[in-house]
Amino acid sequence: MSVSSEAHRSADEVVERTVILPKHLHARPAGQVAQAAARHTDTSIDLAAGSRRANARSVLAVMGLGAVTGAEVRVTVAGPDAAAVADEVCEILATPES
Amino acid sequence: MVGIVLVSHSIGLAEGAAELVAQIARGVRVVPAGGTDDGRLGTSTQRIYAAITAADTGDGVLLIPDLGSSVLTALSLLADPGPWRSGNRVVLADAPFIEGAVAAGVAASGGFDLATVTMAAQEARDVRKL
Repeated sequence: MSVSSEAHRSADEVVERTVILPKHLHARPAGQVAQAAARHTDTSIDLAAGSRRANARSVLAVMGLGAVTGAEVRVTVAGPDAAAVADEVCEILATPES
Repeated sequence: MVGIVLVSHSIGLAEGAAELVAQIARGVRVVPAGGTDDGRLGTSTQRIYAAITAADTGDGVLLIPDLGSSVLTALSLLADPGPWRSGNRVVLADAPFIEGAVAAGVAASGGFDLATVTMAAQEARDVRKL
């Protein structure tokens, strides 16, 4: 298999996960999610809570989801390493307040 | 990394905003430039110069002003060549102070260039809180 076809295949990968928040999705975790999104520039990460959606790259949009403790956040990741990136984002969301 | 300078009339406001940005955007280089030279409410060209120098690592610096004379002082400062290392760019953001600083901080900490960090700050104009 050529490198280009592998790249094409992984770019088509889409992973969806759901996290029940153990904390409000406030400024600090929103910043962590946006920083993670910034590390994976070729991968798109969308968050949805209720009827609201946010591109994870925008820390302000993530905060604007208004997702509180107990809310269900759907994480949709598309592109290279989608599963690993989804793991990373879900871990941030699922980590309780320290 | 792009550096960020927060220009405010108030020392407390500039320092508090910088503290908040540093919490949300871990690893970012953000420097407050608040108040006059003698610590009153107002803006200081000298303090802004010093903050730019402290924020500058060679990848450029984004100035985010609160309002009024912060904007005017920053503009007049940018009209001069500046004492910072030649070839580095310093840009003034047209953005809300807190939201722009947080968005710019996250972009800067992610290693994006000055144009992208500036855009992140300015996109904050269109993001609703509720």
